[in-house]
Amino acid sequence: MVRYVRLLQLFFRTELQYELEYRLNLVLEIIQTVVVTGTSVAAILVLFSYTTILNGWDLSAMLVLLGCFYLVQGFGELVLQPSFEKFMEHVRLGTLDFALLKPASAQFLVTVRNFQVVQLAQMGLGAIVVAVGLSRIPSIGLAEAIGFPIALLCGFGLIYALLLALSTFAFWFVRVDNLMALYWSFMDAGRFPVDVYPGWLRVTLSSAVPIGVAVTVPAQVIAGRLDPLGLGLLMLGTIAAFVLASWFWRLGLRSYTGASA
Amino acid sequence: MIRTYRALLVAQIQAASQYRVQSILWMLFSVIRPVIFLAAWVAVANSQGGQIGAYDVRDFAAYYICLSLVSNLTMSWNAYDFEFEVRMGRLSPKLLRPLHPIHYSVVENLVWKLTTIIPLAIVLVFVAITFDARFRTTPMHLLLFVPSVLLAAALAFLSGWVLATLAFWTTRVHAVSTFWDRAAFIFAGQIAPLALLPGPLQTIALALPFGYILGVPAEILRGGVTIPTALQLMAGQVVWVVIFYFAFQRVWRVGVRQYSAVGA
Repeated sequence: MVRYVRLLQLFFRTELQYELEYRLNLVLEIIQTVVVTGTSVAAILVLFSYTTILNGWDLSAMLVLLGCFYLVQGFGELVLQPSFEKFMEHVRLGTLDFALLKPASAQFLVTVRNFQVVQLAQMGLGAIVVAVGLSRIPSIGLAEAIGFPIALLCGFGLIYALLLALSTFAFWFVRVDNLMALYWSFMDAGRFPVDVYPGWLRVTLSSAVPIGVAVTVPAQVIAGRLDPLGLGLLMLGTIAAFVLASWFWRLGLRSYTGASA
Repeated sequence: MIRTYRALLVAQIQAASQYRVQSILWMLFSVIRPVIFLAAWVAVANSQGGQIGAYDVRDFAAYYICLSLVSNLTMSWNAYDFEFEVRMGRLSPKLLRPLHPIHYSVVENLVWKLTTIIPLAIVLVFVAITFDARFRTTPMHLLLFVPSVLLAAALAFLSGWVLATLAFWTTRVHAVSTFWDRAAFIFAGQIAPLALLPGPLQTIALALPFGYILGVPAEILRGGVTIPTALQLMAGQVVWVVIFYFAFQRVWRVGVRQYSAVGA
């Protein structure tokens, strides 16, 4: 376990060094992130200039939700997107051999290997938006304070499991960028609570593509709308999704043939 | 010229037929965001007794359906492709051909729209039924919509090209187009119909080009504006098309001289 944490640190550090070589680019990317987040907050404010409550969510709760959206999205773009893209390229080129031969979990080496460090800014901004939302809520109970980070971690876990399962198809079909693109286009829907969507979209967002759950549930915890049972189910679901996706990945791995095999 | 275009068209259709899934996925992009904001506005309207300004739930549905149709019909992604070509030096062979590179973009863009319009229409009918959309369109609106959406497409295309040509000077067009997209996000009628943007935002939106690409043709198609207002808005479209046409001519002429392929 300690070894894996140290490996993770190492990966992160090399990617950070790589990114720091292009400082101007880094600054530009950060400015872009600020603009993107700012305009999203503006969109929420426009909506709330006509109402004080949206489907039971007031402005504070919506800000928490939007912050969660950027936290989850930032997490996906920080480590998952770059790593999974690299992974699919490895499958295509047959260079996955190098990861498989190393004396550590191949799944670990592949899925958290690459970072887009600048996305930390995205997560930071998400955290700020959450904090602004929280500061408008008069009091937060202990249960909510404990439940929120747990729900958020579950959200990260769900997104990880989903992307792992999607990218595993690369073992059979090689080019699955389209599946990933599908995920990213649905991601946008996370910016509103999943309960505002009509039936078919809500079902898609909470089961097939659990982006809605990953973003909405942490915000629900803060709004005090989730009982311990719901949180427990979320944790169980996340663990199940993780185990299932990992199993699927290993299944796919068996179909992998190296470049010249 | 017509023969050239026909040849390009055939070649592009053949190329596009290889990427059917891809084009359908890209179509989803032009539907998902409008549906997201439609759902949000429906929730807002419901919390206010079903009516926001001149819009009720069914009007919102019609507006956002028109918006995704318009956004599909006017979509232009040249800035991304072009920066790539300049950066990789791939523009050089295109510059040597007797045809201005813009023509390749025109055809590529047309073919994409032709191939996605049918699946898009199916999805939109589905959305219309889900939200029970109500259109106030009169035949006159439809008649005006045709030139309006053409103007919008021209505007999106030309402004996209002006942004793209910035790649001659900086290889960071990506940053520029992010700012452009986010401004469009606020002012083009995506987050709210232009008529619902609060006070100063609405004035700004009408002074900027973004709304004339999406919101204006969408409102005309929905029948949400009176005919005189529609004509006024279309005059705004004409002004912006002219501005971007001359801007493009100027930027291209200066930029191409600036261009030297990587490795040249």
